[in-house]
Amino acid sequence: MQVRVRYFAGARAAAGVEEEKIDLDDAGAQTVAVLMDLLGLRHGPELTRVLAACTFLVDEIAAPPERELRDGVQVDVLPPFAGG
Amino acid sequence: MTSPPTTPPVNGAPLAPALRPLVEPAGELSVQEIARYSRHVILPDVGMLGQRRLRAARVAVVGAGGLGSPVLLYLAAAGVGTIGVIDDDVVDPSNLQRQVIHGGSDVGRPKVDSAAESVAEVNPHVNVVRHAVHLDASNALDVLAGYDLVLDGTDNFATRYLVADACELLGVPEVWGSIYRFDGQVSVFWPGHGPLYRDLFPQAPPPGAVPSCAEGGVLGVLCAAIGSVMATEAVKLICGIGDPLVGRLLVFDALAMTWRTVRLRPDPDRVPVRDLVDDPFACVVLEPAPSSGEVDPTQLAAMLAERDAGTRRFLLVDVREPHEREVVAIDGSVLVPVGRLVDADGTVRPDILVWLDELAGAADPQDAVPPALVLYCKSGARSARALAALHAAGRTDAVHLNGGVLAWVRQVEPEKPLY
Repeated sequence: MQVRVRYFAGARAAAGVEEEKIDLDDAGAQTVAVLMDLLGLRHGPELTRVLAACTFLVDEIAAPPERELRDGVQVDVLPPFAGG
Repeated sequence: MTSPPTTPPVNGAPLAPALRPLVEPAGELSVQEIARYSRHVILPDVGMLGQRRLRAARVAVVGAGGLGSPVLLYLAAAGVGTIGVIDDDVVDPSNLQRQVIHGGSDVGRPKVDSAAESVAEVNPHVNVVRHAVHLDASNALDVLAGYDLVLDGTDNFATRYLVADACELLGVPEVWGSIYRFDGQVSVFWPGHGPLYRDLFPQAPPPGAVPSCAEGGVLGVLCAAIGSVMATEAVKLICGIGDPLVGRLLVFDALAMTWRTVRLRPDPDRVPVRDLVDDPFACVVLEPAPSSGEVDPTQLAAMLAERDAGTRRFLLVDVREPHEREVVAIDGSVLVPVGRLVDADGTVRPDILVWLDELAGAADPQDAVPPALVLYCKSGARSARALAALHAAGRTDAVHLNGGVLAWVRQVEPEKPLY
């Protein structure tokens, strides 16, 4: 199955791309946590570090790491920051 | 047969519909006010009625800093009748790069006083309420109650969660903006009408996990881009015009010069806020670490003198980023950014630890007098995080510098620059 990942702010900088399609194994449960690991391996330790603090919106709703992903969902990756 | 009017779809999904005005209009405006606000009065959708709503509005602005500066100036110019300014800080020289409501002669003065005077200069019709208090769980509801709208432009997670939770409990809409480096985020969280802050970011990140603007820097003019959107949304909400930024987060990238829209819905599984709590992570920052795990600048200076004399052995580790080290550093330290020392899951990287121990040159552990490792960062937050990871790995011979390089410069080397 395939999901669409959009990166924002520091996550976009660390990933080096604004968005991408990610193919996930159809066998077994594919969760947000699995996707996080995959993205970290794909783009390196800097993204891994950023992802640890990020919110993952799955089809517009914040999802915990254990949330299962379905084919065709959109995942928005948003780092928190508090500057003002 | 006619169907009721609907908001036109954008990108296939409907925007949040225009909601009723937040504020009932005040009485007739004076001749002077009509002259002052004439460009609003002739504006369709604002008009005399909208201007009277602005006159009656009570708006709280939390933080008279980077975002608060344009927000306060534009809300004042727009004729918002009552503006509450909430800030317990004083103006620092490093604020002037972006906090345009304050001037050079305001350095050292309370921000609420400086901001109130600027607002009075822009528009003497505005009633400014000064709240020179530190918001916490004990006073946030009292301070914010009675305002029609809250704008959050504070600079830390603890206050942001506190303000968002208070708005949720009070049922008051919150215009929320946040900035870091070259990026900005802005949205409107309106209880009962759309997703709230905790739907977007359920919990504050642990201290040190996300750098602040003081640590990571911020493009000054970014405040204008995000602050102007915040003020625009405030005026729209008060007058009940247009499509409010409810259920949408705008993400601004100043380098790419793009505004991207993230749609957002409430998390159906989220437990509503019932009480205010001072954020547990905030306490970690505010309360000093256990005394066994930290050294003061004067203690460190003495230890370094002993190291120079050959009577003590330890490694001083700077866990900041390279560009910070270019500004100021403590002599005789090595650079290991916290991200190299500690993995994303909070564990210490063994290979780095071996390398550090080699550098420290602990000849015989039996003879070693702890600490073997002294960590420091800018303010003590990142080094505390790295220290916690080292302690969790059994390295109780590590300590960190209380107050970071900022405290060091103030107490030991005042001739060095601060940042």
